[in-house]
Amino acid sequence: MRPALITLLLLLVATLVADSGRPEQDDGQWTMPGKDFAATRYSGLTQITPANAARLRPQWSFSTGVLGGHEGQPLVVNNTMYVVTPFPNVLYAFDLTREGYPLKWKYRPDVNPTSVGIACCDAINRGAFYADGRIVYNLLDGHTVAVDAATGRELWKTQIADLGQGETTPMAPFVVKGKVIVGPSGGEFGIHGWVKALELATGRLAWTAYSEGPDADVLAHPATFRPFYDRGTDLALTSWPADAWQRAGVPVWGWLSYDPDLDLLYYGTGNAAPYNPEQRPGDNKWASSVLARRPEDGSLVWAYQFTPHENWDFDANAEMILADVTVKGRRRRVLVHFDKNGFAYTIDRATGEVLVAAPFTAVTWAKRIDLTTGRPVVDTAKLTGASRGNIKDICPSLEGGKSPVSAASYSPRTGLFYVSTNNLCMDYQATQVTRIAGTPYIGASTPYHAGPGGHMGAFIAWDASVGRRVWEIREPYPVWSGSVVTAGDVVFYGTLDGWFKAADARSGRVLWKFKVGSGVVGCPITYTGPDGRQYVAVYAGIGGDWFLLSGDVRSDDPADVRPRADFAPDLARHTSQGGIVWVFGLP
Amino acid sequence: MPPAIRYDAHVSAGGAVPPAGSMTNPFRGDRQSAMEGERIFAAMNCDGCHGGGAVGWVGPSLVDGRWRYGGADGAVFQSIFYGRPRGMPAYGGVLSPGAIWKVVTYLQAQSIPKDVPTERWR
Repeated sequence: MRPALITLLLLLVATLVADSGRPEQDDGQWTMPGKDFAATRYSGLTQITPANAARLRPQWSFSTGVLGGHEGQPLVVNNTMYVVTPFPNVLYAFDLTREGYPLKWKYRPDVNPTSVGIACCDAINRGAFYADGRIVYNLLDGHTVAVDAATGRELWKTQIADLGQGETTPMAPFVVKGKVIVGPSGGEFGIHGWVKALELATGRLAWTAYSEGPDADVLAHPATFRPFYDRGTDLALTSWPADAWQRAGVPVWGWLSYDPDLDLLYYGTGNAAPYNPEQRPGDNKWASSVLARRPEDGSLVWAYQFTPHENWDFDANAEMILADVTVKGRRRRVLVHFDKNGFAYTIDRATGEVLVAAPFTAVTWAKRIDLTTGRPVVDTAKLTGASRGNIKDICPSLEGGKSPVSAASYSPRTGLFYVSTNNLCMDYQATQVTRIAGTPYIGASTPYHAGPGGHMGAFIAWDASVGRRVWEIREPYPVWSGSVVTAGDVVFYGTLDGWFKAADARSGRVLWKFKVGSGVVGCPITYTGPDGRQYVAVYAGIGGDWFLLSGDVRSDDPADVRPRADFAPDLARHTSQGGIVWVFGLP
Repeated sequence: MPPAIRYDAHVSAGGAVPPAGSMTNPFRGDRQSAMEGERIFAAMNCDGCHGGGAVGWVGPSLVDGRWRYGGADGAVFQSIFYGRPRGMPAYGGVLSPGAIWKVVTYLQAQSIPKDVPTERWR
C-alpha cells in the first residue's frame, strides 16, 4: 500500500474515533480503572492461556512504603505504570522500558491526616484515571488532583469535599467528554451525597448533582427524567421525612461506566444514613440505587432503586458493567450489577427496566425481586430498627454478597461475568443515633457469621442472561479482590489470605497460585510490556473493611492491639498488612 | 482551660523534665460515673470509631492498656478535649470537663486482657 493511501486511511480512522467519542481500544495499555468505558475489565491479550498459566512467575515487585488497604489498580500508559497508594496518596510513575522499572518520578501531595480518621473504613484509595496526558485522582482529604503524566508536575488541585461534614474521597475519578466525575464517601457520617463534574482542563467545577433532595438539586428535570418504575416529582425529597435528606448519606464512592451511544453515565449510590431505618421512614430515594446521567450537565435520565428503604447497609456502589446479552431470545443492551443485597441485576441500560434479578449468594432478607414493580419482596421478619431488637440471620451481611470494592469482570468470549463473593450473614441490632458533624452517624451493631456451607467466600462465574451461577471456586475467607479476564480465557483474582490465582475462565479450574505477602483487596490488570510480552499486575495489601473487622492483621502500632475477629479467628495467621505491587509473566 | 500536662513516656532533653501541671480524674473508680461515661461514649458516637466496648475499629483500641498519647488521667482527658491528629475530633466544644472525666472513668474501668502481646494459633 502506498504511504499516501495509508496516511489517508489513518486519518479516516482517526476521524471516526473522534466522531464516536470512543477512546481508542488498546489492550496493551490499561488507562482507566475498569479497563474501558463499559467497565468490563476484559483484555484482548492472549499470550497467557490455560495451557501455560502454570508457568507464571513473579517478574517484579515494589514496596509502596505504605501499609493499608491497597484497593484499586495500577494504570499502564505509554510504557509507564502509575500507582496511587492509600493515604498519603503518593503517585509513583515507573519506567517499564528499563530494567527493574526505576521511577520516572513520584508525586507526594500534602494530604490532611485528619482524613484518616474521617474515612469510615481504612485510608484506602481506588486508583487513578488517565486522560489527555493527565493522571487524575482523588486525595483522601477531599481534593482532586491532575498531574502531568510525563513529568509528574501538578496541573491543578481542586477541593471537592468537606472533612468537617464527614466527607472523604477515596473513589477513583471517571473522565468522560472532558469532565472529571467525582464523589464522596461518608455514608457512615450522615453526609449529603453528591457527584460533581470538574473540567479536565482546569479543575473548575462544572456541575453538582445531589443523590437526595429536591429535583433541582438532584438535577431531575421533569422533561427529561424518566424512571422506569416511578412517577411524580421530587421523589428524592418526598421519600424522606422532613429534613432527614440533608444528613442522609447516599455517598458515591464506587466505579462508574459510560455508554457513548446512549450518552449515559452510570453509577451506584451508597446507603441511607443512619443504619437505624426507623429514623428515616420512606423509600429514601436515591439511596442504594443506580443513576443514569448526561455527562455534560449531570441531568438525571433514569434511576432505579435496588433496595427501597434500605434496612441493612446495602450500598449499591458496585460497578455497572455494560454488555450486550440475550434475554428471552432478544439481544439487549444491558448493565449488569452485583449488589450488596445479594441479587444480581440485568437491566436495560436505556430505560432502567429490570430484565433479570436473581440471588448470586445466600439471601434471607428478600424472597425475590418482583419484575413488574422492580421492588424486592421483603421478608418482614428481617426488617431492622431500634424498636425491633436484635434481628438474627440476615444474609448477606452488610459486607455485601459482593463488596462494591471487588470489581467484577466480563468476557464477551465466554459471555460470563466473574465475581468475587462473600458468604457472610449477620445479626442486626439498630440503635437510635444523633448526628454530630464530623463524628460517625451509624446506629447499629452487626456481628457476622459464615453463611450456609461454612466457607466465607467464593469466586464465581455468572450467566447474566438467565441469572445463573455457572461455576464457583470456594474460598475459606470472603473474596475481596477484583478480577481481570482475558481473551486467553484466563481469569485472575486474589484472596484475603494472600493468594493470587489464575483460573480457567470456562471451567473454573485453578491453574496457578502465588502467595503475594499480604491479603489482596485490589483489582488485577494485564498489559503488554515494551518487550511485547503479556504481564499481569496486582496489589497486595489487606485493608479496607478488614482493617476494622480483623484488627489483629495490624502490626504497625504498639498502642493498638486488638482481639481477633470471632467469625474469622485465624485470618491473621495467614496475612498481615502490606503494600506491594506485583508483576507476573511467563518465563 | 485545662493546664498543660506532661507525657511521662517522652524523653526529656538532657534528662531535665519540663515543668508542667498535672490533672487527676476526680471520678476515678466511681462506678456511677463510669456508667454515665459509657452512655456518653455511645451518645457522642465514640463507638462509631473506637468500636463497641472500645475494642478498636477505625480508631485504636482503648481497652488494651496501650496509649498513643499517654494513658495518664490528664493525657486521656486532653485527647478527648482537644482531639488528636489522624481524625480524633475535639470534643471540648460540645462536652463539659465533667462529662469528659466520666468518659475517662468509663475507659479506665475496662479490664485489660491478660495476654495482650501474644496471639497464638493451634
